[in-house]
Amino acid sequence: MGSLPRFNSKFIVIAVSVILLLYFVVFPMGILLYDSIMVNGAINFGNYADVYSQDVNWRALSNTVQLSLLVMVASVIITFPLAWLVGRTDMPGKKTYRTLLVASYMIPPYVGAIAWVQLLNPSVGYLNSIFKWILQLQQSPFDIYTMGGLAWVLTLFYSPFAFITISRAMEKMDPTLEEAARVSGASPLRTLVDVTLPLMAPSILAGGLLVFIAAGSCFGIPAIVGMPGNIEVMTTRIVTYIYMGNDEGIRDATALAASLMFIANFLLFFMTWMLGRKDYTTISGKSTRPNIVELGKWKWPAFCGVGLYAFIAVILPLGSILLTSLLKSMSRGVTWSNIGFDAWEPVITSSQYMESIWNSVVYGVIAATIGTILSVFIAYLAVKTKVKGRSFPDLLTVIGGSTPSIVIALALVITFSGNFGLNLYSSMWILVVSYLVKYMTMSVRTIAASLSQVHVSLEEAALNSGASWIRTCKDIIMPLIAPSIIAGWFLIFMPSFYELTMSLLLYGAETKTIGVLLYELQTYADTQNASVLSVIILTIVLVGNLILNKLTKGNVGI
Amino acid sequence: MAQVRIEHVFKRFGPVTAVNDFNLTVEDGEFVSILGPSGCGKTTSLRMIAGFEKATEGEIYIGDHCVSSSSQNKFVPPENRDIGMVFQSYAVWPHMTVVENVAYPLKIQKVPKEERLKRVNEMLELVHLGEYGHRYPHQLSGGQQQRVALARALVAQPGLLLLDEPLSNLDAKLRESMRFEILSIQKALGITVVYVTHDQGEAMAMSDRVVVMSKGVVQQIGAPHEIYTNPANKMVADFIGLVNFMQGEVSDDRVYLQGTTASFPNTSGVSGSATIAVRPENITMSRGGGMLEGTLTHRFYLGDAVDYRVTVGDHDVRVIVKGADLKEFADGEKVYLDFEKVMIFDRE
Repeated sequence: MGSLPRFNSKFIVIAVSVILLLYFVVFPMGILLYDSIMVNGAINFGNYADVYSQDVNWRALSNTVQLSLLVMVASVIITFPLAWLVGRTDMPGKKTYRTLLVASYMIPPYVGAIAWVQLLNPSVGYLNSIFKWILQLQQSPFDIYTMGGLAWVLTLFYSPFAFITISRAMEKMDPTLEEAARVSGASPLRTLVDVTLPLMAPSILAGGLLVFIAAGSCFGIPAIVGMPGNIEVMTTRIVTYIYMGNDEGIRDATALAASLMFIANFLLFFMTWMLGRKDYTTISGKSTRPNIVELGKWKWPAFCGVGLYAFIAVILPLGSILLTSLLKSMSRGVTWSNIGFDAWEPVITSSQYMESIWNSVVYGVIAATIGTILSVFIAYLAVKTKVKGRSFPDLLTVIGGSTPSIVIALALVITFSGNFGLNLYSSMWILVVSYLVKYMTMSVRTIAASLSQVHVSLEEAALNSGASWIRTCKDIIMPLIAPSIIAGWFLIFMPSFYELTMSLLLYGAETKTIGVLLYELQTYADTQNASVLSVIILTIVLVGNLILNKLTKGNVGI
Repeated sequence: MAQVRIEHVFKRFGPVTAVNDFNLTVEDGEFVSILGPSGCGKTTSLRMIAGFEKATEGEIYIGDHCVSSSSQNKFVPPENRDIGMVFQSYAVWPHMTVVENVAYPLKIQKVPKEERLKRVNEMLELVHLGEYGHRYPHQLSGGQQQRVALARALVAQPGLLLLDEPLSNLDAKLRESMRFEILSIQKALGITVVYVTHDQGEAMAMSDRVVVMSKGVVQQIGAPHEIYTNPANKMVADFIGLVNFMQGEVSDDRVYLQGTTASFPNTSGVSGSATIAVRPENITMSRGGGMLEGTLTHRFYLGDAVDYRVTVGDHDVRVIVKGADLKEFADGEKVYLDFEKVMIFDRE
């Protein structure tokens, strides 16, 4: 009886979500690709030839690849032992460290870059001053505005991707596989080399590739750390070309963006294929406690080593920003008499600043609300129905999420500037659309995971008790997945709130966001106001994460 | 081959005592099962023998070597204990072929390649996997993977083989046939075996002796028939096979079934109130008259037997008659029961 309306409502949901996603995700990217290879109505790779005939672009490409590789290798080398120590040993303070080590994941990357510029810039960097004073040096020992400095900041902020992937794989691995090696006569070290490492190789590679893609797609860090030292990467080149504002600039930007998109998506598909290889799946029987390695006399050295890393990666940059925001005057040194909230007053009372914060909150709330509603439909479709093509919308959100922000922004600029009917240029809606394209996949993932936990029999029991499908959704499904819906909302809200890259290309006179404002302050060398604003952003993100953590019992976080 | 001695072994996890004063000597070439419900400490005990858990107190000897001693602060890691082990999850390495898996212990021992290959092939023949050497584990069924695990555990000719619920991931038919296969390999090699299981049928069919554990404490150690016919306490009687428990009162040297005049010799010497236990297959049921009078309430057809429920006073008694005809008795009929092989336990 109820099957006809049920089929219809599902069909409408599929149709609407597919059309929306096709229009806002696939279509703009298609236009971007099309534009990059069409010259005067014919297929022609002239654009690419033009762009890559210029030294500066070649250098940018080579810098991007070099940096990403360096950051990838460094991240894996740093995070594998960290993941092992935190996950598989009796090192003290493991839980706190785990939280700290993924914490840099929730700090907006450009805020991290601002912090490290404060710490390590060659003229007045806090750390440089300390080293100069302790070691009685004439010159600063570090210069952040170099390839090394750029790689350092990128590694600190993107290695959590590798850490999360690798520690998840370590937790999932059946510990008896290692025990079997031990009873076969292998020492713990030999077991690590012969069994643990080969079995984890796909996950290590996957984590590394995630870092590679993230580092290569990042704009905020290279813009703040690289540009002052004249180090150009793909993303900064693209932005420079777009800022030229003429057709030629857009054309060159398009060719570069298409290259970046191609590299990122190719690597992602390679990664998915790696992880899906059958011979590496391991069956686990009953869940034995993972065997915890006793560190013995290495217990406290390990504790101190990891502590030092966590301090450098998280505490130091946050502390630096907080300190700068609390200095009465930047020109005077760090003394008690120079500490106060003086720098805060002009920020909080400035209508220009408050307007940007308000804009970011509003756009974040709108994107999160629309995104969560769509995510529920998309997740329900993928997990709970048997309709053909049910996971197609899900796949489209994944593609959106894996495309570099700069590419999404450019594609939206080209497509929705009125050439194809809809003109969103300079309106808040182009910002909201860009946030949705980039971040909806996180919320779909979370809600889908939670929905798949709701066994079909629970729904059927409600239907059998006489409830309609809508009533079943309201009484049974929604209450059970409510925490994940709220989590999904925050997972869209928080990155949208502090988004920089896309906002920088898409904002208009009336729609400046907090990320854009902060970027401007930093480039105008207004360090103190930038720090105050950073502290405000960090506080909001921290509160959001605490709520998220509470709701999901620590399973989801940014 | 090796004897295993476990002396006064305790394992505590914080305030929880998982294994409480475990004592056992497994003779050279003997097959001993540790049997108990989940969480009884049987797997922890096995993991202490293997060296994956450190005993909080007590000594463990394998052959002539002390491998774990709390008083001497001695602990030999698993790789130096000369044991083979088979896990419930098979633990066959997915990135190695069958041959590479089985050859691994020999590779660690630096056995020359030619001899290694010879011994691996012998082992694979023994577990009927001769033709599967070049396959990867994901190309094998669960039963085949478990044979690979068995071959790998035996290839280095260890003195002791430990098996941790090796058959519980297999389907019922395969489980039956693997029982006998493991047993015949054990007899052929004469290896000492400690086998952990929660399946009483498995333990009874395979073992020379069975150790019954509950709540971290060894309840009884004995040959299978001993444990079945002469259980040490209520827990063992209840865990092994089916049993009727009924309340009884001690008077003089006899135990009276509560609410009746039927009585049994007080073989356990308990006083006050007692528990009378009798297995359903040790009860005969007739129309003609007997020890107790009751009313037949339900019948369940089991194929090779009929399972009856008879109400005797306040007691609900289960009777199983092999090869009976379902229509022989009718529900509600008055019947007479005779108990044989009655066991008397403390009330608790």
